[in-house]
Amino acid sequence: MKKQDIISSLFWMVIGAGVCYGGYDLELGTLRDPGSGFMFFWVGIIMMGLSLSLLIRAMREKSKTGEMKLIWSEVQWKKILSVIIALFLYAYAFNTLGFIFCTTIILIFLFKAVEPQRWSVAVLGAILSTLSAYLVFQLWLGSQLPKGLLNIG
Amino acid sequence: MELLNYLSIGLSVALQPVNLFYCFAGVFIGTLIGVLPGIGPVGAMSLLLPTTFKATPEAAIIMLAGIYYGAMYGGSTTSILVNIPGEAASVVTCLDGYQMARKGRAGPALGMAAFGSFIAGTLSIVGLMILAPPLSQFAIKFGPPEYFTLMVLGLTILIYLAHGSMSKALLMAAFGVVLGLIGLDSINARPRFTFERMELMDGVGLVPIVMGLFGISEVLLNIEQAFRREIFETKIRGLLPTAKDWKDSTGPLARGSLIGFFLGILPGGGAVISSFISYAIEKRFSKHPEQFGKGAIEGVAGPESANNAATGGAFIPLMTLGIPPNVVMAMLLGAFMVHGVQPGPLMMKQNPGLFWGVIASMYIGNFMLLILNLPLISIWVQVLRVPYKILFPLILLFCLIGVYSVSNAVFDIYIMILFGIVGYLMKKFDYEGAPLVLAFVLGPLLENNLRKSLIMSQGDFSIFFTRPLSAVSLVLALLLLVSPLIPWMGKKRAEIPKEEIS
Repeated sequence: MKKQDIISSLFWMVIGAGVCYGGYDLELGTLRDPGSGFMFFWVGIIMMGLSLSLLIRAMREKSKTGEMKLIWSEVQWKKILSVIIALFLYAYAFNTLGFIFCTTIILIFLFKAVEPQRWSVAVLGAILSTLSAYLVFQLWLGSQLPKGLLNIG
Repeated sequence: MELLNYLSIGLSVALQPVNLFYCFAGVFIGTLIGVLPGIGPVGAMSLLLPTTFKATPEAAIIMLAGIYYGAMYGGSTTSILVNIPGEAASVVTCLDGYQMARKGRAGPALGMAAFGSFIAGTLSIVGLMILAPPLSQFAIKFGPPEYFTLMVLGLTILIYLAHGSMSKALLMAAFGVVLGLIGLDSINARPRFTFERMELMDGVGLVPIVMGLFGISEVLLNIEQAFRREIFETKIRGLLPTAKDWKDSTGPLARGSLIGFFLGILPGGGAVISSFISYAIEKRFSKHPEQFGKGAIEGVAGPESANNAATGGAFIPLMTLGIPPNVVMAMLLGAFMVHGVQPGPLMMKQNPGLFWGVIASMYIGNFMLLILNLPLISIWVQVLRVPYKILFPLILLFCLIGVYSVSNAVFDIYIMILFGIVGYLMKKFDYEGAPLVLAFVLGPLLENNLRKSLIMSQGDFSIFFTRPLSAVSLVLALLLLVSPLIPWMGKKRAEIPKEEIS
């Protein structure tokens, strides 16, 4: 875990420093009357201390060849990235295009693009799932799902 | 006599048709998510939290609690038939349960898992009923220093029991505290780390974080590689265990119930650890330890009763102190708060119907689960055949709608996706999500009680050492934190079964 631990400890050290600075900026107050940034400041210090200890331990560890490759081996990046991008696009278009349209499209994509299935299964599955979700959340539970520009739903 | 009075109050609430419906929905969904690998009780509870908004607090908590203990029942089915644990607490059931199925004894294995779960679940509710009232009375005397140190101890135990590096678990807890404190300062209403976003003024929501860390990240992990599972093709017959099975299982059942209940009370303990410890104890005390791992029914009865008993125990610190001992209970605390109820020592007096109604519903839920898991086992086997490529878009759909329904804010969908990616990377880099979530929930309470304690003592930290309970809690927490430096304690920690085995 040497390389991963070095990378992650550096990441957390930066986050800890940010939290620490943010806490200081918010006012520490006094011990008799701790201010808004008191807890943030000390938690930030603890985070930096912990990441430093993790970093030192990782530096002392012997490096194993190919360990980074092992973690990321066989990862199908295309699938992961396509799902993440689809989710972000869904959130982006949700209010504008509305629940029913967005949900049907993302489900067809997920059914079809990640583990390809027949078009009929993907389209029918997407429509049925969207309508069931609409019935449960909008009609039964009274959630306010957006209709969007297309005014569907 | 007093207990019977309380129980009758509880039954009058739990037996109302609407509450019976929510109880059934909870245990049914719990069994379903227990059967389905890839989504655990925490994810399911956060997914279904919006569905309880229209319900009364009693119905909501009854349903969410049902999901928790229902998942413990359902988890054993996949362990026995597929050799894949439906949720982490059923990992150890795979060892002997699957071997029993391979030998044509899937029926008695499933039967014993269900009966064991029922008996242990019921015993733990009795324990909860007996222990909760005196503990509530005792907890009324607690002040901010006691609450602060108890929460520190709870977090420390969770970190101690976490998988792998303690530094990483501590880092996660610290990060969780920071996330929990985002929003307006509870004392002077000053915005903190809100980056001038209105959506962050009320803080980051628990549901988007939990769904991201436990829902989206699970899906990402599962789709990154080919996901295959094979159901052991066997006819399930004779679900009732034989007289010999019962004889062999009585001891493990009793021990498992006790271990599970008491470990469930401990912060950070819970179902996973208790099932492993029960298995280890049964193997150690068995006259034929060589049979373990080859289909010994004791290896199913002990852990299955332990993980179910732990669910009852876990309710004690939440309902009497208001401190969640594990992530599932943290989620339940969030649900209590959404419904305007503050769990803690006063809950039993202020909301007796809710307090005893939830407990009584657990008796009823256990009966429902016995019926769901024995005669209807074939339905769950069919559920197992649903391929993951059909399942994962539906899980994502529920995450998306679930998170939006809680706040009607697209911002929360972004937060959930972000934490999905964070959770995925955390698993890759060997960091655990549980300390983060528990610290996120406890963060505001920790800060509040720390500040109140310091104001009380005029800035003197000795307040934490001069009060007996807080002194004991702090010393214990300190001991656990330095334990990896002490050789024999460090070794003990390394032997603790790990939640992430699944």
